[in-house]
Amino acid sequence: MIFVQSALTGVLVGGLYALMAIGLSLTWGMLRVINLAHFGLILLSGYLTYHLTTNAGVDPLLTVVATVPVMFVIGALIQWGFQHFKVSELSSLLVSFGLLIMGNQIISNVWSADFRRMTSDVNPYATGSLTLGPLVFPMPTLIASVAAAGLVLCIHYVLARTFVGRALRAFGEDPAIASAFGIDHERLGLLLAGAAGATAAVAGTLFALGGSLTPSTAFEWFGVVFAVVILGGIGNVLGTLLAGALVGGIAGVMTIAWSPVAAPVVVYGLVVLALVFRPNGLLPRRGGHG
Amino acid sequence: MTWRGPAGIGVVILALGALPWVREAFDLPIFLLAFGTLVLSWTALATSWNILSGYSGYFSFGQGGFYGVGVYTTAVLTGRHDWNFLATVPLAGLLAAALGLVVGLIAFRLRALRGEVFALLTLAVPFIVAPIARLNPSIDGGQGITVPVPDIPEPLNGFQDLSYLLCLAIAGIAVVVAYVAQRSRLGWALFAIRDAEPVAEGLGVPTFRSKMVAIAITAFVAGMAGSVAAIQVGYVTVEGTFNLQVPLFVIVMSVLGGRLHWLGPAVGALVIVTLRDRLATSGFEGFSLIVLGGILVLFVLLAPEGLVPRMRRRLVPVLVAFVAVGAALWLTRLREDPVDWLAFGLLAAAVVAFLPGIRRRGAEAALEPVGPEVETDHDAAAAPPALADEGAPTTSPTDKPIVVVTDVTKDFGGLRALDGISLIVHPGELLGLVGPNGSGKTTLVNLLSGQFRPTSGTITVGGEDIGGLPPHRIAHVGVARTYQIPRPFASMTVRDNVAMAIMFGRSPTDLEAARAAAEEHLALVGLAELADALPGEINLHERQLLEMARALATRPRVLLLDEALAGLNPVEVDNAVGVVRRIRASGLAIVLVEHLLRVVNQLATRIVVLDQGRVLADGDPATVMADPEVVRAYLGRRPSGALPPAPATDGGAGA
Amino acid sequence: MLELRGVDVFYGEAQALFGLDLDVGDGEIVCIVGPNGAGKTTLVQAVAGMLPVRAGSVRIGDTDVAGRPAHRVCHSGVATVPEGRRIFPGMSVADNLALGAYRRDARSARDESLAWVHELFPRLRERAGQLAGSLSGGEQQMLAIGRALMARPRLLLMDEPSLGLAPVIVDGVFDVIGEINRSGVSVLLVEQNVERALEIASRGYVLSEGRISLAGTGPELLANEELRRTVLGIA
Repeated sequence: MIFVQSALTGVLVGGLYALMAIGLSLTWGMLRVINLAHFGLILLSGYLTYHLTTNAGVDPLLTVVATVPVMFVIGALIQWGFQHFKVSELSSLLVSFGLLIMGNQIISNVWSADFRRMTSDVNPYATGSLTLGPLVFPMPTLIASVAAAGLVLCIHYVLARTFVGRALRAFGEDPAIASAFGIDHERLGLLLAGAAGATAAVAGTLFALGGSLTPSTAFEWFGVVFAVVILGGIGNVLGTLLAGALVGGIAGVMTIAWSPVAAPVVVYGLVVLALVFRPNGLLPRRGGHG
Repeated sequence: MTWRGPAGIGVVILALGALPWVREAFDLPIFLLAFGTLVLSWTALATSWNILSGYSGYFSFGQGGFYGVGVYTTAVLTGRHDWNFLATVPLAGLLAAALGLVVGLIAFRLRALRGEVFALLTLAVPFIVAPIARLNPSIDGGQGITVPVPDIPEPLNGFQDLSYLLCLAIAGIAVVVAYVAQRSRLGWALFAIRDAEPVAEGLGVPTFRSKMVAIAITAFVAGMAGSVAAIQVGYVTVEGTFNLQVPLFVIVMSVLGGRLHWLGPAVGALVIVTLRDRLATSGFEGFSLIVLGGILVLFVLLAPEGLVPRMRRRLVPVLVAFVAVGAALWLTRLREDPVDWLAFGLLAAAVVAFLPGIRRRGAEAALEPVGPEVETDHDAAAAPPALADEGAPTTSPTDKPIVVVTDVTKDFGGLRALDGISLIVHPGELLGLVGPNGSGKTTLVNLLSGQFRPTSGTITVGGEDIGGLPPHRIAHVGVARTYQIPRPFASMTVRDNVAMAIMFGRSPTDLEAARAAAEEHLALVGLAELADALPGEINLHERQLLEMARALATRPRVLLLDEALAGLNPVEVDNAVGVVRRIRASGLAIVLVEHLLRVVNQLATRIVVLDQGRVLADGDPATVMADPEVVRAYLGRRPSGALPPAPATDGGAGA
Repeated sequence: MLELRGVDVFYGEAQALFGLDLDVGDGEIVCIVGPNGAGKTTLVQAVAGMLPVRAGSVRIGDTDVAGRPAHRVCHSGVATVPEGRRIFPGMSVADNLALGAYRRDARSARDESLAWVHELFPRLRERAGQLAGSLSGGEQQMLAIGRALMARPRLLLMDEPSLGLAPVIVDGVFDVIGEINRSGVSVLLVEQNVERALEIASRGYVLSEGRISLAGTGPELLANEELRRTVLGIA
């Protein structure tokens, strides 16, 4: 039973992983840049949520009003830099790594390296849980997962049904022809990067609901997020959600079955296996995407 | 390769090695030794990293994993099993190298793993190794390991001396290996991989082997560096060992110093260590990583070649600035701390290196147009004897065929690109392969050169079945090709591009001999004056000639020219035609894929026309081009009936 | 409708078009023929703005669009049916068509355009939800043309629409081109299938090695021996 519990909790947490991964996945697939600074945006958003909640008494969930615009702008600015300097995929990896390190240090300078966690007197979601028979789901995890999964589904809807979404997909498939029909590369790229930043903002806020923050937390996310991105298929929204659930579930079970420390081994092992055997993701490849 | 280089490095190492006793004699602060140790150990880590990642372009985030294996090897063996410390050092290197080979086996076998994906794969290494160490009680178990201080051998005065000399030794090994590698076949192979890996394979460069050797070296040195770090730290923990500091620093140091030069990472290490030290002493410790990250961003975007190439171009001013500023601070006592002299000296040197106004080396190379009249005296000259001896004598087309294509089909998913093609090429023939767009010409060339395998049917070259051979093996069988869009090795000169083909071709030679032999091929295509230019400095036509020269240098029996005349103006086309004629005179078989039909008509002894994946005609130019089927294929078909009234849709099943 | 004067286009550093002069009148079908590698596709891409024009002017209507990027050129009323069709394979037929109407002026008339496209190509209505990548060659060609029509162009650029299609389907394609032209759209047609193209066009140009070597009306060119020689490369 304990395995079932940890598996299911893990699946829920996987929803949040999927939200963390979706921004990275879409910019990688459509803009051909790997933006490691994305992790920094998630982290910064988490810290901002902590800060506003603890020092200004704002409801944690409402902090997105502040974090989303900020991360949107930063995300778009980074993309503008990539476009302006015409960076290659590998260079984008290096440059964003440098930005991540810088951002990390700044966060550490401002908030110190101590663990930061919103206490229950300022965080109304910190305690409480949902009990379903023998299974117990902590409130922060539940809220985070439901919100995250919901947001990912919204993104899927936007891509599939709206005008802008259609333009993005066309741009991802054949940028030259898309532009021949009126789609402006650069503006769309900025929009997409900004939106990715916005998803990072929400992910950070949701993480802060139940998690502890320290500057090195951003690096702890590398493994799970890349596992989700690659298993889900770069640029594939629904795939990312499923991969999130899968990775989360497996990590959850491994934590109990083996050790909490073992999770990275399993997760990175999955990344390696995915890269070797299914570099296009677990789901079958749809015509020509990538 | 002369021995001056390694000898010079050896002198420097010996001089540095004297430091412990010099310090003792002049009673200099022990801090100098500590500082030196730090610079040397980072030099070792960064230089060894660069041999794989800088030279070959395969960016590795895994250096921390190899380093960590080294740390723990020594920690466990000396801390738990009482081994002699010095014995653990090479063992640490070997274990790390073993890990490197495992990573390489997984990563390098798969073509799909491009540069950035490889980087992510290697990121997994420390993240997998660390928890294993943490969880396994016979390794770490979560408690950390106390490493005993080793016995200090007689001539040394203390622990710091031992530490320093060990780091010097390892750094010395790393730098010498990097120096030797850069100038050896391995180095050239790695640079070629960095510039254009598929092309390198096609020339016969053993890419897999080279990368494996590189990763083994990288890991070996990193492991040894980790081994020494274990005794310096004294108490080893998983968190302290496996963090992102090592990969970050080696990347920044190499990017800053220069990734294509053996001294680059060492210079980068010196600058970064000095910088961090100064930031710490002036109370700006918290800005250290911000500065490092900023340097990485700036250099990748604005100065990707790094410091050392720039410094080399202005060596004297840079050295003068360095010495002058440092000495000035020392003599005027403006600054007391020697590290300050070093810091400001480096700063001055860097500023001088980056001053605007310098042109790239080689920019002034003669770029005269290569006109047809320059080479007329070569026309009459006999084919260079070496080529004739190589088994490609001038033959008549009735001799035994060199290429036999039998009933070949090629499918791409549901699309049939080639449908039952059969043809023969004889030595000495110039076969023109033509056909409308989409007829399968390029697919056929790709099959002949090994990019693809036939779905069915056989292709033999000189009697040997090439279906299923990897491109570098096919190169050794004697097939060479040019690419429609030239892909030279951008970081090598024109001559070296051709020399590469000779070095790795069917009869491997060393660099000097290869360079000499390259001259004849350059002369044949008319590029002799541009031998020292870089590909980026010559025009499209000249790059296409370079493609041809490089292909010829592999001494092929069959040369595939894939749209070698694309994008040329009429004068250039005529020149190229002359070159192809000269090439033909040396007796090999040439397959010319070309759109410019007037050129094909001028040059070819035989024409094969493809249409929708099938051979439509095969014979001498006059007959073929008059064939009504061929005319119809090019000019179009008459309508199949009366025009149905509008609005129309397609009348039948899909194509 | 379309006027090119002195147009130079480079592909990388190779010059592909040399001082080209060309006209397409209102309501005309003008075809460009010539040997492969002559620069026909380069010409289409340059007019559409997908390749930069290094010198000369490209007037669509009365606006000079030379030097503008593709997403701005299309606002002048140009739509492209590219070589090899280049529909968006991972998107449905309906989405491909909807995308065609992306530019502002076309968006409001989307439903009307879609009705017309369905009338011309009933097959596309049947296959609306299907992934474009799974269509046959002929169906993809229809989709590419339909997508371009959704943009409500004044000038339609067509690059080798008959490429890789069976003769019967090619008939259908050329009929549709005629129909489109009759509705008032000017057409610049690049074709390998010289005879079909010259039959449908009012005028034609022969492009060879980046320059116009012959020009004339359809019938004139069809009868011209020199055309035959140019295309076959016979000296």
